[in-house]
Amino acid sequence: MTEEMPKLKRFERRETDVVLAYVGGDEFTITYDDLRHACPCAKCSPLRNADETSKSLRRQVEALPKEKPQVRIVGNYALGFEWNAGCSSGIYRFERIWDLANRRDPDNGRPYVHGAW
Amino acid sequence: MPMADSPVTKHGANSEDEATEASVQEQKQMEQAYAQMKRKMSMAEIGRMIKHKVMVLSGKGGVGKSTVSTGLALSLAQQGLKVGILDIDITGPNVPKMMGLEGRRLHVEAGRIHPAQGHLGVKVISMAFLLDNEDTPVVWRGPIKLGAIQQFIADVEWGNLDYLIIDFPPGTSDEPLTVAQSLPDIDGMVIVTTPQDVALLDSRKSITFSESLKVPVLGVVENMSGYTINGKSAPNSDVEIDGPAGKTLKTTADDQGNFAITIDIFKEGGGESTAEEFGVPFLGKLPFDPGFVRGGDDGVHRIVSEPEGPSAIAFAKIVAALQEQITDSDEPGLEII
Repeated sequence: MTEEMPKLKRFERRETDVVLAYVGGDEFTITYDDLRHACPCAKCSPLRNADETSKSLRRQVEALPKEKPQVRIVGNYALGFEWNAGCSSGIYRFERIWDLANRRDPDNGRPYVHGAW
Repeated sequence: MPMADSPVTKHGANSEDEATEASVQEQKQMEQAYAQMKRKMSMAEIGRMIKHKVMVLSGKGGVGKSTVSTGLALSLAQQGLKVGILDIDITGPNVPKMMGLEGRRLHVEAGRIHPAQGHLGVKVISMAFLLDNEDTPVVWRGPIKLGAIQQFIADVEWGNLDYLIIDFPPGTSDEPLTVAQSLPDIDGMVIVTTPQDVALLDSRKSITFSESLKVPVLGVVENMSGYTINGKSAPNSDVEIDGPAGKTLKTTADDQGNFAITIDIFKEGGGESTAEEFGVPFLGKLPFDPGFVRGGDDGVHRIVSEPEGPSAIAFAKIVAALQEQITDSDEPGLEII
């Protein structure tokens, strides 16, 4: 990420995705599937590789019931999401959410293609 | 008929006794429930009066957690903020000694405990204030210990504070859980570590522990990070020092012949890499400073004796990084819909 990240102003949960509004007026949408697939916790991260395991994680995420998460602000640097099913451990730094909003692989900056980084 | 009456009379007496006993028990339960409710209300009120609450933990003992707690408190107080320290380390309370409050007793008025005031007006509450003899260990079972902690939170007249720093015993025990469940709106926890692997391993446990407590990690502080030797040599000359693990440390003296060289006594950068690994902020490093030991023993903290020294500067940087992580309730925050 080279550009300056603006401050996240609004996090609006919809049925299957979230709308992010940043200071300066930029708005982005992230689906819950994409958000959950990008979970940075120690259990999910190793499953997000260039090989088949990434697809397997994607399939696991897509098989989960579609639900709005509970959101908690972590310190001043991140958000945490509580889901009724699946992994709720990951702490998403604002930089990570900004990368996801801009369709970038939050782990190593590769361009995003639906379901496969 | 006396024989027939007697058992009835006796039975009647038993019933009365039982009824009295039941009523005494009910009263006791009601009193306990009332005291509990009062304590909860008091905790909620204290939660409102204290703007920010920061827990200081470490996975391992001996990493300088109390030094960091007192340093954070004093560094915040240097900014002119109102600060308190709650020393929850019931088995080894040493914050009072570091704050020049050794041998003090707590002042209790109208059922409220008044904290002692240490350097720079920092308010201190510690189990050490209740001990007759500092050599006496506190051997308390869980429920008594936890009751004491709740009392230390709810029955203390902290007044309005900008920051309350809570110093815990090492490890992932009952104490942080009790505090996290009792005190509302805790901003988060600071994890103290030293650079060696064993300490780092335990710090990782503390970070994972924070997830189960639902208290965010505000950041990792690496203590005893490096020892800086200052010396004099010929101007612009090369200086070599034999460091640990057979490593040669090199530097060049300046025009006046002054040089400074930092020896990483343990390892280097471990705290930072742990923070990176877990995606939590790294707040900074504190140098290995023997002055902390002397200051701790003499009751004059390093920040007080040398307010512009290297350790005070390192603490100020850590505090600035910490404050960046703490959302100020006056600022409009993130709107979650």
